[in-house]
Formats: sequence, C-alpha cells, structure tokens
Amino acid sequence: MEPLIAGLVAIADPELLVLIFAATLAGVIIGALPGLNATTGAALLLPFTITMDPIPAIAILTTIYCAATFAGAITAILINTPGTSASATTCLDGYPLAQRGEAGRALGMATVSSTFGGIVSVLCLMAAAPLMAGAAYNFAPPEYFALTIFGLSMLATIGDGSPVKNLIAGALGVLVATVGKDLLTTVERFTYGMSELTEGVGFVPVMIGLFGISELLVQAERLTVERRRVMMKAVRLPSRDDYRKVWKTILRSSGIGTFIGILPAEGATVASMIGYNEARRWSKTPEEFGKGAIEGIAGSEAANNSATGGAMVPTLALGIPGSPTAAVILAGLMIHGLQPGPTMFTEQADFAFAIFWAMLFVNLLFIFVGLFGAKIFARITLVPVQVLWPIVFTFSIVGAYALDQSFLDIWIAIGAGFLGYFMRRFGYSVVPLAIGLILGGILEKRLGQSLIMLDDQWWLMLTRPLCLLFFALTFLALFGPALWRRFFIQRDPLKSTGE
Amino acid sequence: MSKLGVPIALILFCGLAYWQTTQFDRVPPILLRGMQPADFPQLVLFLIVGLSGLLIYRAVRGADDAPSERQAAAEESTGVPSSVWKTMGLFLVFALLAPIDLFLGLGAFALCLTLLWGERRPWALLLVAVVAPALVFFLFDQVFEVRFPRGLLTNVWYG
Repeated sequence: MEPLIAGLVAIADPELLVLIFAATLAGVIIGALPGLNATTGAALLLPFTITMDPIPAIAILTTIYCAATFAGAITAILINTPGTSASATTCLDGYPLAQRGEAGRALGMATVSSTFGGIVSVLCLMAAAPLMAGAAYNFAPPEYFALTIFGLSMLATIGDGSPVKNLIAGALGVLVATVGKDLLTTVERFTYGMSELTEGVGFVPVMIGLFGISELLVQAERLTVERRRVMMKAVRLPSRDDYRKVWKTILRSSGIGTFIGILPAEGATVASMIGYNEARRWSKTPEEFGKGAIEGIAGSEAANNSATGGAMVPTLALGIPGSPTAAVILAGLMIHGLQPGPTMFTEQADFAFAIFWAMLFVNLLFIFVGLFGAKIFARITLVPVQVLWPIVFTFSIVGAYALDQSFLDIWIAIGAGFLGYFMRRFGYSVVPLAIGLILGGILEKRLGQSLIMLDDQWWLMLTRPLCLLFFALTFLALFGPALWRRFFIQRDPLKSTGE
Repeated sequence: MSKLGVPIALILFCGLAYWQTTQFDRVPPILLRGMQPADFPQLVLFLIVGLSGLLIYRAVRGADDAPSERQAAAEESTGVPSSVWKTMGLFLVFALLAPIDLFLGLGAFALCLTLLWGERRPWALLLVAVVAPALVFFLFDQVFEVRFPRGLLTNVWYG
C-alpha cells in the first residue's frame, strides 16, 4: 500500500502532470500522423528523455505509448488509414460509419472503448506486475536464461510474417548485441578498433533507424497515395442504445487485450485483431461487421488500448518486453540505469507505481482529448508527407547523435534504417531485431552466470522445474502452431474435403 | 530472388562473421569462468545458419508462404521504386555535407527531399530546410545541453 501512495504522491507533482498532458497531446499527434506510430514516436522521443529524471522520462514514454495507440483510431475512422497497425481493424467499421455521416459517433465510441480498455489494463497491471515480480523474485540465472529464451521464442509469432524469418531477425538482433566488450571476460568483439563501439551498439540509434528512417524510405514508395478526410461535425458520446449493444464487447475485448499484452512480444496489433474477431463471433448481427458495426470499433479499440497496460506487466516485472513499444521503453529504463525485474518492486517500488498512476491518468485524459480534441487532431492527418518526413529525419538524426554525442551513432541509425527498409521489403519484420538487440545482452549474461553456477554443466538446467517449464513453453511457442495444424486441422474431414 | 537470395546472403554473412569470431582473444582456461568470448556469438551464428537453411529447404520444397512473404514477393516483382533509390541517393548528399556541418547536411537533405517528393511551396521549403533544423538545434543545445560538433554554421553560434 505504501508504494501505491508514494507513487501517487510522486505523480501528483503539477510540473509532471503538465508534462504528461503535453506528452498525451504529442502522442495523439504522433498516432494521428501518417506513418508514425507508438513505437516510432517512443524511439524518436527517447533522446529527449535522457537528461530527465527516471520518473518523468519513463512516464513520457508510456504516455506516448498509450496516447499514440489511442490516436490511431482517428486516422482509421476519418481517412481509412490506420495511424498505427493496431487500429487496422478499426478501419473496417469506422470508415464506413464515417462515410454515412456518423464519424462523430464512431470517434466517440473509439474514445470510450479505448479509455475503458486502458483503465482496465492499468488496474490489471497494478495487481499483476507485483505478483509476477514476487513469483520471479527467487529466480536464479538459469531461470532467467530460460525465461529470456521463452521471450525470444515468442518473436516467432509477431505479425503475420514467417516465424522462421522473425526468428532470424531476432537472432540478428542478439548478434548485434554481442558487439563491444564481453561482460564476463572484457574481451572486445566486432569493434574494429572503434572506441565508440566498446560499450556496444547503442539502442537509441538502432531504434531510430529501424523505426524512423526505414519508415521514411517506406513513405518514399507511397508518395502517390491520396488521403481524403471525411468531414465531421463533432465527436459525441455513444448513446444509451450503443452502450447496451457494446458493453459486453468492451469488457470481453479489454480482457483479451490485457491477456495478449501480457504475453511477451505480442502487442496491440494482435490484440485488436482477436478483439475484433471475437466481437464479430459473439455479435447478434455479425453480417453488419465491415459495413459500419459500432461493436467492431468497440472490440478493436478496447483490445488495442488494453494491450498497452498488459504489455507493461512482463516489461516491468520480468524485463521481457510485452510489445515493440514496450521494447523501446525497456531500452529507456536501461539507459536510465534502472533494472526491470522483480527487484524493481522491492527497491524501486515508488517508481513502478508512479508509472502505473501516470498510465491511469493518461487513460482518463483520453476522454477529454478524444471528445474535444479529435476534430482538431483530425486536421493533422492531412499534413503533407513531403513536409512531415524531412522534419522527422532532422529529429531522427539529432536524436541519434544526442545520447553519446557521437557521429558514429548517426551512421549506425542510417545503416539500421537501410537495413530495416530492405528487411521489410523481403518480408522480415524489424521488431524482432529490436527486441533481440535488447534481450541479447541479458541472454548472454544469464547464460554465462548459469554456466558458472552450474560448473559448465548446462544440462543441469533441465533438472530445474521452472527452467523446464519455460523450455516447454518455448517448445510450444515454436512448434505449437505447426503441431496444431498437423494434428487437428488437417484431420478435420470438413477441411480436407474443402467444405 | 528473395526466397533463395536472402538466406544464401545470410549464410555467407554468417561465414564471414564466424571467421571474425575466430580472431577474438581467448581467455586462458585457468582464468576462464563461463564461456569464451567467441562462444556466444558463434552459437547465434549457427542458429542463423540453421534457420536460413530451413528457409532454403522450404523455398526449394515450395512450402506455403505466410501472407507477408506473398506480399514481399509481390513487392519484389515490381522492384524498388525509383523514388526510394533517389531518396537513398540523397543520404549521400547528407554524408558529404554533414562532416562540414551537421546542420548544413540536415538542411540540405531536408530541402532536397522535399523537392524530390514534389513539394514546391516556399513556406514548406523554408520550414523543413531552415526553421525545423534551427529549432531542433536550439532545443537540444539550450534545453538538453547537447554539444554539437563545430562546423560552418554551428561556429556562428559557438563563436
């Protein structure tokens, strides 16, 4: 109880509240701008937070995360272009509603669902993170190693890409993390005599390159795409009939989103897809989905916003990012010298709870931002990419330089941007690479510590019940979907006959 | 091309990286605790080679593609658009000008990019090439106390 109150006191600082409000507006603008999303926004703003104290720094990053995820709905509904990938399913019903002249109603529903989903997930975060951290408190290096392996194995299921390609990208990230001085032996690796690389490749330039500069190149492909905004009068709260229709959907999607968010590496995009599909499956009028069903918006938006709180559970409690944006926040925690994991809830509990309160505050702000500001933010969606992206480039390069004030980081950011563009072009997601980079150092450290602890007899890990559990979960994450298809789907006579 | 080309390129890259790991210093066995410095990167390289081999096997066998692979194949068939190559070429402009002055490089890149992407309005050109870099410079210099490398333009401020 004491950390809960201490966290609230820490967040009640008027200066911090103003900062969070400003970050909320910035997050909404980022989410509404074409091509920018929560992950890119957090990566671009990471350099701004470096000189701040840890609480405002991480509060800003989590605020950007929540606000940009919420704002994706604005572009989804008004211009049929999801501001973030998590809002892709919101387009399906939001845009048809807007075309029918009900944009205000659609945005109102998106606001209410997002707020509710976000609050539910933060409350779950407040309850679950300390519990999870408590359970992990007695983990020894072998358990942490097995847990990190499990976290990395979940990369296989990111997005709709090939699991093998995702794992390759993740392994490349782990390989990049080996650049620099080996922690156990202090031998330099892959540094090529460059002193700047002794401490390893920085998270910030790589994140900025992978998410910011690669997106600039993607935008270069889409210069001819025309965006037309649907006009709207005002955003309005959903009617009583709407509430009656959607309350179950919002509750269900909030639960789904929180659960999906808690799974390592899965994020708001997967949550919104499942939330939307479940909304359709349980609906009395599934035929309306895709044509402007209000339940579709509620299902998608409640799920994607509740995934933000869920994703912070493994991030803070175990140090395993729950989503791509959580990976950037994890990088922010590490840059500030904070060690996510069980000790955070014993040694820095005030900090952890301050972040929870900040997230709760942000979700409450959505009501005001969504209802009164959506009309203004909707105009931002039409900022020409020809103006937006050169400015983003300037921020990206200066941001990459700022942390270590090294020119090498600028070239690393540009190199990561080119790599990210070609990876995306060849069907490789850049998210596993970013998460692999963050977890790679932890993985090697835990493996080294485990080998020392077990006298180089690595197989003794298999005699530890928790290690076995995590390895079993890893096996399921990697081979479960294939085994499921092989033993259940192919043997389904209806499927095999094509009926 | 990507179905076989990328995994083969990855295997070649891993071969080169593996050779580099053999050049790392080794810790004498008596002082060694845990792993040799090369062990972990080598383990990761073997994993990448194994996974790339799996991709090659799947490509040769003609296994079902994931949606993103089909999309990648479709995009690849059209080639990288010329606008992307030209944008990449502009990075060369930045690379040439940045050592003279970082903000000169940023302004020139932003101006060229805006023009390349078809924007001709003077206010927009002024915004991206002058106003935005200047604001970013003063924000980082004054608020975040970042010291930028001296150059043609930054010397005017730094004196």
